[in-house]
Amino acid sequence: MIKTWELDPGFKHEIMKEPGGEHLTSCYQCSTCTIGCPITEIVPSYNPRKIIQMSLLGMREEVLSNPDLWICLICQTCTARCPQDVGISDLLSAIRRIAEKDEEAGKLKIESPRPLFDTAFLHTVEKYGRLYDIGLAMEYYPKREGSFVAGQKAMMKDYMAFGMRMFFKGKMGPLGGHGLLKGVLPSKIKKTDVMKKIFKWAEEKEK
Amino acid sequence: MSITKLAYYPGCPSEATALDQHISTEAVFEKLGVELVEVEDWNCCGAAEAENPMLVYALNARNLAIAERASLNIMTPCSICYYNLARTAKALKEDEKLSAEIKGIDSSLEYNGTITAKHVLDVLVNDIGMDELKSKIVKKLNIKVAPYYGCYIGRPRETAYDDPDDPVLMDKLIELMGGENVPFSQMKTLCCGGPLMMTRADIAFDMARTILDTAKSAGADCVALACPLCGMMLDAKQADIEKALNIKIEMPVVYITQLLGLALGIDASKLGLDKNAVDTKELLGKVV
Repeated sequence: MIKTWELDPGFKHEIMKEPGGEHLTSCYQCSTCTIGCPITEIVPSYNPRKIIQMSLLGMREEVLSNPDLWICLICQTCTARCPQDVGISDLLSAIRRIAEKDEEAGKLKIESPRPLFDTAFLHTVEKYGRLYDIGLAMEYYPKREGSFVAGQKAMMKDYMAFGMRMFFKGKMGPLGGHGLLKGVLPSKIKKTDVMKKIFKWAEEKEK
Repeated sequence: MSITKLAYYPGCPSEATALDQHISTEAVFEKLGVELVEVEDWNCCGAAEAENPMLVYALNARNLAIAERASLNIMTPCSICYYNLARTAKALKEDEKLSAEIKGIDSSLEYNGTITAKHVLDVLVNDIGMDELKSKIVKKLNIKVAPYYGCYIGRPRETAYDDPDDPVLMDKLIELMGGENVPFSQMKTLCCGGPLMMTRADIAFDMARTILDTAKSAGADCVALACPLCGMMLDAKQADIEKALNIKIEMPVVYITQLLGLALGIDASKLGLDKNAVDTKELLGKVV
């Protein structure tokens, strides 16, 4: 049941202030987004239409703590089919960023490991200018599993066979096509100082 | 043909998991007489992990600016890199204030909107063109292909270069090379699951399996694709999917540039066809 006195009428404005969230109020609840969504096919509870309606109503807490926020593929199918140009893919991304800010402020606990993954990914880009797969995994797995040892175990389980496959195909490691330790060592750009400036600016913009 | 030179943005996977796509792209364009100048000191586009569009714009402004200083349009073989480069170009062209603000971060991010971003598939079919390609094709691909497009080729519409529901660019190329496209319209634009690979592998594997299974039951000899993340999911992770779901798929997955390279008469070893995770030897026997 919706308790009207618990609703946050400001929530829709909060979303609309985020880049990508601008067109929230254009939604007229036709459900085209949800009918065509490949995730809804697999996870029936997943319902972008409902997330939008709950946001419009101001159900801030329920929206931000919904675990389904984190299984969006960003595949843009909803965005492409929306007759109202709501830009649902970008809108959900805006909502996820609000959830992340709430978590940073200690107001919310996000169960999904996805923010950890995205952060670890971007840390390698900030540091080296390019994605560094191994650096990403070394940060992500221990954080997800809660300890270094558990992280290493989980990483091995997921990536031992994969890593060997890539090694023998010459895509990573000493047999690599571009150099002796391609993929093992990070590929670092020269202008990492510019990367630092970019990340600092983007972080400020998010505040 | 008017294009003789392009700025080439390989993207992060080109250095490891999509080395085969990178090698074959370079080989194909060399054969076609188009010089690729690698974007000097290029940086990551932010992929799907940079959820803050401002970060995406700033990261890609730098890559666009480097290509612009060389007065060359920028081409990438990756669908996500393409999307990020193209939407940045659009945003910066339309929003002077944003453009100025980004330039203020560092002068090397000054992009004035004089060059555009393109995906390899778009350049091949629409810019170089079918007639030019036809005149250079020397071998026939006697194979049945499941053309898989994934995301960002036909959607979102601001950056799309093919139909959102029934894209055809790869189909056309495959026909041109003598190959047969199997019925695949249901799967063509379904996401491969890649973005959830590291956080919800169960969903990602399910999606990839559906695509590969459909290709198999349609009688395809291989799946053709145009994005390194799709390649990661459908090819590099295929053995992991088989193990996790206790099934056998064994479906070769190749990049469209690898197939085109074969049709242009380039040696398989120069197209990285020994690097695809699922063995491609049987496929190579059908190129005559």
